[in-house]
Order: sequence, then structure tokens, then C-alpha cells
Amino acid sequence: HAQVAAGTPKRNIQLSNIIEECSNGRRVSRLLELSPKKLEPLPVEEPKTPKRNSRAASTQPTSASKGTPKSANKMKLIRDGTIKPNIHSRDAPVQHDANELALARERLHVSATPSSLPCREKEYEEIYNFLEGKIFDGCGGCMYISGVPGTGKTATTTAVLRALKQLSEEEEIPKFEFVDINGMRLTEPRQAYVHIYRQLTGKTLAWEQAYNLLNKRFTTKAPRRITTVLLVDELDILCNKRQDVVYNLLNWPTMPTAQLVVVTIANTMDLPERLLMGKISSRLGLTRLTFQPYNFRQLQEIVMARLAGMSAFNSDAVQLVARKVAAVSGDARRALDICRRATELADDQAKKAHLSVTVSMMHVQQALTEMITSAKVKTIRSCSRMEQLFLQAVTAEVTRTGIEECNFLGVYSQFEALAAFSGVIVPNPGRAMAICARLAASRLLICECGRSDIYQKILLNISTDDVHFALQASKLL
Amino acid sequence: MRKMPSVNSDLDNTRRFLKARLLTDRASFHGYEAERLQIYDLLKRTAEHGESNSALLLGPRGIGKTTLVTSVLVELLSKETFHRNSLIVYLNGLIHIDDRLALKSATAQMNLENAVDGKVFGSFAENLAFLLECLKAGDRKKSKSVIFLLEEFDLFCSHHNQTLLYNLFDVAQSAQAPICVLGLTARLDVIELLEKRVKSRFSHRQIFLLPPEDGFEERLELFGSLLKLPTEQEVSTFEATHPTISPEVLSNDELTLLRNLFNPRKYNFPSKWVTQWNRTIEKLLKSSEVQTVLQNMYEYDVLEGPFRMLLFELVNGLDDEHPSITIESIQQLGESYESDDKVKLLMGSSVLEICLVIAMKHHSEIYDRDPFNFEMILTRFGKWANSSSSMQGIERPVVLKAFEHLKQLEFIAPLTGGGLAKVQKEYQLHRLMLTYGQIHQAVQRMQFLPTEITQWEISSLV
Repeated sequence: HAQVAAGTPKRNIQLSNIIEECSNGRRVSRLLELSPKKLEPLPVEEPKTPKRNSRAASTQPTSASKGTPKSANKMKLIRDGTIKPNIHSRDAPVQHDANELALARERLHVSATPSSLPCREKEYEEIYNFLEGKIFDGCGGCMYISGVPGTGKTATTTAVLRALKQLSEEEEIPKFEFVDINGMRLTEPRQAYVHIYRQLTGKTLAWEQAYNLLNKRFTTKAPRRITTVLLVDELDILCNKRQDVVYNLLNWPTMPTAQLVVVTIANTMDLPERLLMGKISSRLGLTRLTFQPYNFRQLQEIVMARLAGMSAFNSDAVQLVARKVAAVSGDARRALDICRRATELADDQAKKAHLSVTVSMMHVQQALTEMITSAKVKTIRSCSRMEQLFLQAVTAEVTRTGIEECNFLGVYSQFEALAAFSGVIVPNPGRAMAICARLAASRLLICECGRSDIYQKILLNISTDDVHFALQASKLL
Repeated sequence: MRKMPSVNSDLDNTRRFLKARLLTDRASFHGYEAERLQIYDLLKRTAEHGESNSALLLGPRGIGKTTLVTSVLVELLSKETFHRNSLIVYLNGLIHIDDRLALKSATAQMNLENAVDGKVFGSFAENLAFLLECLKAGDRKKSKSVIFLLEEFDLFCSHHNQTLLYNLFDVAQSAQAPICVLGLTARLDVIELLEKRVKSRFSHRQIFLLPPEDGFEERLELFGSLLKLPTEQEVSTFEATHPTISPEVLSNDELTLLRNLFNPRKYNFPSKWVTQWNRTIEKLLKSSEVQTVLQNMYEYDVLEGPFRMLLFELVNGLDDEHPSITIESIQQLGESYESDDKVKLLMGSSVLEICLVIAMKHHSEIYDRDPFNFEMILTRFGKWANSSSSMQGIERPVVLKAFEHLKQLEFIAPLTGGGLAKVQKEYQLHRLMLTYGQIHQAVQRMQFLPTEITQWEISSLV
């Protein structure tokens, strides 16, 4: 038997070894041990000098016995999936506030996804029908879902899958396996194979092995195979130059043996045409779904659904949040975060006044100004006098030359003139450059690197109107 | 050897005390009550109620962002309910320059299963997967809260795909282990650096630390409070406001913020010395000369960090001959603060070098700052030197040496780009990196400079 193994090509041995390992569920390395390459490191050649020999003999066993085997074992157990990942548990479980505002805040947290998402019924229906049909028919297929961030793409899809999983447990529909990967959680596109394989078997392999095994699984016929649903989030990250990973993920469903349904999610609507190769976008097919940004009524409904049965929020306040957010992005996360901040503000007030406070227009207004407006004008106002003067010099130089980009020499001569005009001591170029660097550190200005010294180019990162508006009240004008 | 008199040892003690307070007093933070309370509440709610959050602390360099966070942590970590229920992970964009390093450090600091004695095993991909699984396995009620402090947050935005930020913010927005992501940065437009999906997951809580608009009075107060010695009463109140932190919290190797904090109890002064010292400081504050110097400094820079460094210099000058801070020493500090270093450097160069700088200045004036090479300057210099009485007969290599010395001091810099590097050094084009004002000042202030050179500097006609 050993002779046969030695005679066969090496790759065959490894592959058969792996398959055997998977079928038994434990590592069988008998075949590999027989191959000559593995045997090589065992007979150690003796070093020539005796000094080295003694040192090597003394250090090796101690270092080996200390840490490495333990940690190597641990790593093996982690890769096998025996050690379950865990985080330290807390001393005492969380105590809850009975406060209504605290409860509202908890419900308004983005993570507290409701069981049925409001305003996404149509999309839910569409994804549900698609997946249910594919599972019933036992065939493969693809779907592409797009929409700007925070419009409920992933939440709706996982809700559909949760419902289907429950139905399959009740044996209303055939059983299926569910695997989800997220492009942003991978360090490189090829790690997708590793993640898929791990979710199917619980083991971590190198990506080549994982790919081979997955390919084998999807391309060979198996009599009692059940449908696999694969959810791919952030598809655009998986696209590298060769696009081999995306190709494979979308090619497997076309195999009649695979029974693989792939649901892909990304932000841009025209991703298949813009980024993917022709053969890949052809495989992706035309079953597509676009999630529109929420309008203000929908956002209002979402927030109100979370607050159902509570009186902590003024309904006008919710409407204000919804209108403001819908005007900017239609991002549900943003609306929920603003509401949560408003409850915090109300809570602070309640603590101060020892009263029960409901979240009103005022709190929402304050939260909106905190979270939407920028602090540019305030920053300019809080700059030192020389910094303000320097900013003015930059605007003066921009208006003089008519070009947005100006260089330090020009600005400095304006600066000298302005300083002389307002009666302060003219700072020397070195100091002026320090001022310039400070303004660039907080990105009011954009400057070239310091090496070009007095020839560095300066760009105003704020509008000249902002500077004028901010310095109107200043003593300098 | 003479025995040190007691006055000096008091002075020594004072100097040590003031220096230590200027540099290491990270636990006490004054002002910005509302902002501090917001951070305090945020961290407290994360640890005690298991709420997940994300926030950014923004403000110019030197305003005290790190000090604010440290002071909040000192206050919170002394409580049992906080430090037993939370882990702090400290990451710095200047140290953890890519996601790989940041992830290793986070794994070690959270002491996860794949870390043994601060060593993390497995590849980058495995580490990321393992950390995410750990956080996913966690739950709001039972697992410890993790507080991620990301200093130099803007540098994390330049990592590949912003993977780390996406994942941290994603965990903060989903039902997993409770975490709080707190970013600190000086860039006010940092949110525009985030990718749109990362931006959507960030909660948009931005806390700005901006200096007050017209705070010269506060600056004077700060000057007093940083230089005065505490009375016995103040030391005893310090005890109450700065509680001790249990040593198990400090076992985190990466979190160095809380180590070697300032402790006034290590120093003691006779009360007579304290009143005497404080009286001199009060007197200084009242004097108009000191106020002018401080006002001038304030016009340049309103931030506390750089001001502390200036005071450090002031305290550094205390010794046996100068046993107390005087108006003169403060004025000296103000002068050195406003002086031009390039002019000083120029004043130290030789007469030949000054002549070359003047020739360059004339060239730049005539041709409106056009670049020049060595030959042009040599010709211009030669024309003048032939007619002058003292600079005749200087050999060409000597002038070239002087020219190269000027280049090394970066008074002139070669033009970069487009195949200019291959040109011979006599013909390489350079630009003058000084303003005409600086050259004029240096020439005027240099002693022992022949009069003909001063004359030549003023008129560009030869």
C-alpha cells in the first residue's frame, strides 16, 4: 500500500487525504507521513562546531516546551472549530432602568431590528417569492439587490431567510442551508471560499483547499443534496482585477448539480455593468431589486413603529427628524441615531430637573444641530487672532489673483499688509508658517508638505463666504 | 563641599513639582464640562448598560483631547462596576499603521483565545474572522463591554478598504457584544474621509473641543494655576477628586495613558515657602509687562498644550542664581518666542556666504524670483567683488563650497522634477528660500560686517 502511495503524484495524495479527513471528521495524516518530503526534516544533520551544538541542544527543548506547542495546539483546535470563539463575560448581568426614556433609547438603537420591517413589504414579498420558488424547485439562481446604505437591504433579506428557515423547520418547505458572507469582513476576496467552507463544515482551511472542496461539492452530483442559499453582502469589495472569486460564486449556480441560490447585495445600481466583466454580469442575470431611499413618511413610520405604545416621543418631533433626514440621505440609521441622541438630551434635562420629560421639538432640534451641521464657522471664530488674520490674508490673495491656489509668499505679503493695517506686530515668516501648519492640521487650509517652505501652495478648504461670515463680528474688521 | 541650604532644596522641589505637573498631569482636566459629561455618560452607559455607541472627539492639536479621555477614564476606572465589566482597547493610528497590526493589538488587549501572553497566532484573515466571531458570540447582557479608543482616527481612514472601521462600526450597530468606538482626531473634516457604508454605520456623534473665543482672562488664570504651588488644603482635595485605580486595570500593556500619573503627595513644601512663592506669582500676574508678553503669545496661539511647553521652558530656567520667576525672565521667553530662527541662522554664516545670499537676493529682485544656478550667482558676485576692497581674489572652488554650504542649510533649494537632477552641480537651478526682509534684517544685525557689504545689500546696482 505504501508503495502505491509513493508512486502516485503528490497532489493526488494530498487531495485524497483531505477528502478522507473530511469524511471521517478527524485528521488522518498516515498517507502524508509516508511521502518522502515530510520525512526530510527528521534526520537532523549535526553542526560542525561543538559550541553551537551544545547551545542548540540546550535552547531548543526549553523554547519548545515553553509556549509554542501549547499555542500551536490551540491554533489547531481553533482551526478545527473545537474551541468556540468567546468574549469575556461580565461580572454581573446588566441592570435595567425602568425609566421610559431608557426603554425608548434601547428600542431606538439600530441593532434592535423589529421582526417585521415597516415600509419594506413589497421588497420582502419579492425576495420571498424568489427564494421560495428556487427552494421548491431545487434549482439554482442569482439575484442582485442594490440601494444606498441604510435602506434596509440586509435586514429585509435576513428577515426573509429567517422566515424561510422557520418554515423549513416546520417542514412546510424543503430544507435548505444558509451561508452568508460579507465582502468587508474579508481581508481579501479569496477568503470568501474559506468563510463559505467554514460555515458549511466548521473547519478553517487555506483558500486553495477550501476552493477545491467547494468546487468538488458544487460540480459533482450527489443524490441527497439540499439547496444552499448564499448571501453575499458588499459585492463590490469581492471584485478584484481578475474577478475570479465573483465569477466562481456566480458560476456555481449555473451548474445543475449545485442547487445554489446566490443573493448579492451592493450599493450601486449599475455595478454589474460598470465593474463586472461581461460574462459575469451575464451570469448575474436580470433578477434585480432596487431599494429606494426612505421618504419622510416612511422614516416617520419606522421610528413610530419602534416606539409603539410609548409616550416618550412627541410625534411632531419625530416628523422633524424624518423630514430632515429624508432631505439629506434617506438613511434609517441616521434617523434612529438622531432620535436616540434626542432621548439622551431629554434624559439629561430630566435628571437636572427631577421631572419626567418627553422628547420634544427642542431636544430634536438640538440633536439635529449636533449631528448634521458642521463646525466650520465656530472653528474659525475660535482661532487665535493671528490665525484669523492669516485666513483673511488667504482670502485676500485668492480674490487678488483670481485663482484658488495661492502660494505662501503671496499670502505672506498680504498678511504683512493686513497686520500692519490692524496695528499688530507683523509676525516673521517662520511664525507665519507655523500658523499655516496649524490651520492645515485642522484642515481649514490644505497645504503642501513643509519641504517646499515659502513656495508651498495653499488652498482654502472652506468657502471664502464662511471666512467673511465668521469674522464679521471680529475686532479685526 | 558646602551643604545645600534649605532654600535651594525647596527651590529644587518646586522646580520638580512644576515640571511634573506641566508634563504628566493628564488626569485633571478643566473646562468643557458639557463635552466631558457627554463622553463620561457614553462610556458609562456602554459599560453599565451594555449599550453600543460610536463617537468622534474633534479639536485642534494641543487642546486636550487625550487629557479629556484620560481624566474620564481615571474617574470611571476607580469604580468596581466599570472596570469589572469592561475592556479597554487602545489603538493609535501612528503605531498601528495597518489593519493587520491594529487587529493583532486588539486581540492581545482583549485577551482572546488565540492570544497567549500578548502573542497572537494565525494569519491576518484568521485574526479578523476570529475577532468578529468572538464579538458575534457575545451578547448585550452577559459579555463585557469593549471600549475602543482610536487615537489619530484620520490615519485609520487610510487603511485598505477601511475594513477595521467598517467592522467596528458594524458591531456597534448590531446586536452583538456591546462596544463603544471613540475616535480622536485633529482633522475637522474627518467624516468626509469615511466610505459611504462606513459613514452610514457611524452614529454621527461628533464632540467638538474648541478653544473659547475671547479667553485672555482664562489664559491669565491658567498661567497662575499652572505656576502656583498647592496649599495643604488643595492637596487634600486632590485626594478626593483623583481616586486610586486598582492595579489590575493597568495590566494592559498598550494602554499607557494611565501610567505614572502626576501625584502631588510626593512633594511637600513648608507652608511659608508656598505662600511666598504664590505671592510672587500673583505679583507677576498683576504686572502689565507680563500681561503684554502673555497677550502677544495669546494672539499667536490660544491652545493650552503649546503654552504649557513655554511655561516648561520658563520653569527650566530656575536655579540658584535665578531663584524665582521674574518679569525679565518672562520677557526673555517672549522675545525668544517671537524671534526668527532663520535670521539667527543667517547671522551665523561667513562673510562670503552672506555675499552670495545678497547676490541671490539681487538676482531674485531683478528677475522676480526666477531660479538661478551657481554660475549666475558667481558672475553677479564677481562683478561686485572685483570692485570691492576686501573680497578680491577669492577662488572659484571656495565660492562653490560656500554655495553648497548654503544649500545644505536649506537657504536655497534645488528645483525638483523633470530631469533636472542630471545637470552638473554648477548649472543646477535653485530657488532662494528666504524673504528679502529676512536677509535685510540679518545683514543689519550682523556685527563686524564690512560697510561695503551693507551698502551693496541696499542697492542692487553694481
